[in-house]
Amino acid sequence: MLYREAGQFKTSYAADQAIFPIRQDQIAIGLMAAVAVLGVPALANEYFLETIFVPFLVFAMAALGLNILTGYCGQLSLGTGGFMACGAFFSYKLATAFPELHIVIVFLLAGLGTAGVGVLFGLPSLRIKGFYLAVATLAAQFFLVWMFNKFGWWTNYSSSGVISAPPREVLPGLFITGTEAGPVTKYLFLLVFVALLALVAKNLVRSRIGRTWMAIRDMDIAAEIIGIRPLWAKLSAFAVSSFYIGIAGALWAFVYTGSVEALAFEINRSFQVLFMIIIGGLGSILGSFLGAAFIVLLPILLNNGMLAIDPTISTALVSHIEFMIFGALIVFFLIVEPHGLARLWQIAKEKLRLWPFPY
Amino acid sequence: MDAETRTEAAVDARRPGPARAIGEVLLEVKDVTLRFGGVRALSGVSFDIRRGEIRAIIGPNGAGKSSMLNVINGFYQPQEGQITFKGEVLQKMRPHFAAKNGIARTFQNIALFKGMSTLDNVMTGRMLKMHSTWFEQMLYMGRAKREEIEHRRFCEEIIDFLEIQAHRHTPVGKLPYGLQKRVELARALAAEPEILLLDEPMAGMNVEEKEDMCRFILDVNDEFGTTIALIEHDMGVVMDISDRVVVLDYGRKLADGTPDAVRANQDVIDAYLGVSH
Repeated sequence: MLYREAGQFKTSYAADQAIFPIRQDQIAIGLMAAVAVLGVPALANEYFLETIFVPFLVFAMAALGLNILTGYCGQLSLGTGGFMACGAFFSYKLATAFPELHIVIVFLLAGLGTAGVGVLFGLPSLRIKGFYLAVATLAAQFFLVWMFNKFGWWTNYSSSGVISAPPREVLPGLFITGTEAGPVTKYLFLLVFVALLALVAKNLVRSRIGRTWMAIRDMDIAAEIIGIRPLWAKLSAFAVSSFYIGIAGALWAFVYTGSVEALAFEINRSFQVLFMIIIGGLGSILGSFLGAAFIVLLPILLNNGMLAIDPTISTALVSHIEFMIFGALIVFFLIVEPHGLARLWQIAKEKLRLWPFPY
Repeated sequence: MDAETRTEAAVDARRPGPARAIGEVLLEVKDVTLRFGGVRALSGVSFDIRRGEIRAIIGPNGAGKSSMLNVINGFYQPQEGQITFKGEVLQKMRPHFAAKNGIARTFQNIALFKGMSTLDNVMTGRMLKMHSTWFEQMLYMGRAKREEIEHRRFCEEIIDFLEIQAHRHTPVGKLPYGLQKRVELARALAAEPEILLLDEPMAGMNVEEKEDMCRFILDVNDEFGTTIALIEHDMGVVMDISDRVVVLDYGRKLADGTPDAVRANQDVIDAYLGVSH
């Protein structure tokens, strides 16, 4: 089927403002949803679900959060790891202190708590911008990880400093955390949860709040003259962003790994998420997913691909080649399109509309 | 028809129009002095802007024209003087207060939101008119959706008025300069301002683009009754479209009056052409 808009007339602004205004897109997203819900759990084995799809969705959530702050509001942050740690430890404390609280509520409350922390560490953004702000957010990164490591209260005085997610069910009988949780349940829960929150993020960025953030990003002086309060816009972006990142941290600790220590949220984690949104596309919801997919999936695919070609190959060589190809691909994609995979996808769609008769 | 007569024809058609009544004083600037350290950008400048008029602020480079606009919409706070707006006396104007009370502006160097589409830029200009809550916007339901559609309709009218329909979904960073200036005007108009401050709306344009812009400015003034204060270097344009002109030089007011009176003023001629000593 050709990608054509011809004949699809919009007769109302509501139709024109839909998230997927073009019919082919609607069909494609419907198919993707069907494959994700029905196809993946049926076809993928446990290993693939546990090591690819679950971390992909968790990272997509973190990338979504950072993209709201950096991509939409233009505030560079290197505190992602710290905020993920907040989400993880907040939900651990909540889940152990109130065992009867539903796990989704625990996640959301942990997100709200992280949002508060994010606002606090976002205060410097009112005075400083760009790289200087990134350096200021490093304070959040180091302080938070140090705090969770230092004070035993956060881990309920566990001697190793590791927290283990208590078993919790999302619906009666369906465990998503703990040892009884199956990979399919985890995957489907994450899929629905992340998709819903992505929809909320999309709604925010296409409404007044999103335009406020983008206005601050693009030209803060003009935004102020229009009547936008920079203080409010920046801090709200920090809050929403940290909310998402906090939930991602909670999902990481509870659903993905099951047990985690504060050092899992070191600065490398921040860089990893930052690279995801740079490669995926700043200021794009789709880009957050594409970037997470690129960074999470590609190394595993390369690894498995090489082993499939030559099973006798040594694992050291595999990981070396993997690093080289992975690095080269990052450079390649950034040269082809500095605005990320989401932009590349958009260009492809524009070309497809004129194909095979471009002018 | 050549450029000049066309502009003049438009003006002549407009001038005698009975509907265009110039009303009471809408904004008054009194003895405003603005200093940056030891530099006096403005010293004791006073003038008024009446409802419904097109008021030009002219002067050589560095005369303090843009500083004056920045004082009016609260971006700079003057050390001395006061601003009376709609009968309310203010020691200092604040940007948010100015925006809320109907002062909009465009910038000398285009200050658009480059990553956003034309439509989003115009919609952003209207953001103070939107009141949906966070929760409604998260779900894109109820008032949030209704407002998006309602205000989209209004913004589309402005887009229509300024003839930028073809570019509504284009990121403004990709538009040519003349169109960007027009989008900036659209963004300012979206707020339905009472006073529109235009900082060199025609800088860097060719004759056709200038004519278009003149036409839009006159139409805005005519159809919406918007009061306009503009800074412009093209004397032909200033003399053609403005009702009254204030001349600044080295931060001081040099002259104030109708275009003809200002044109004949010896001080103004000296400031522009220089005096032999």
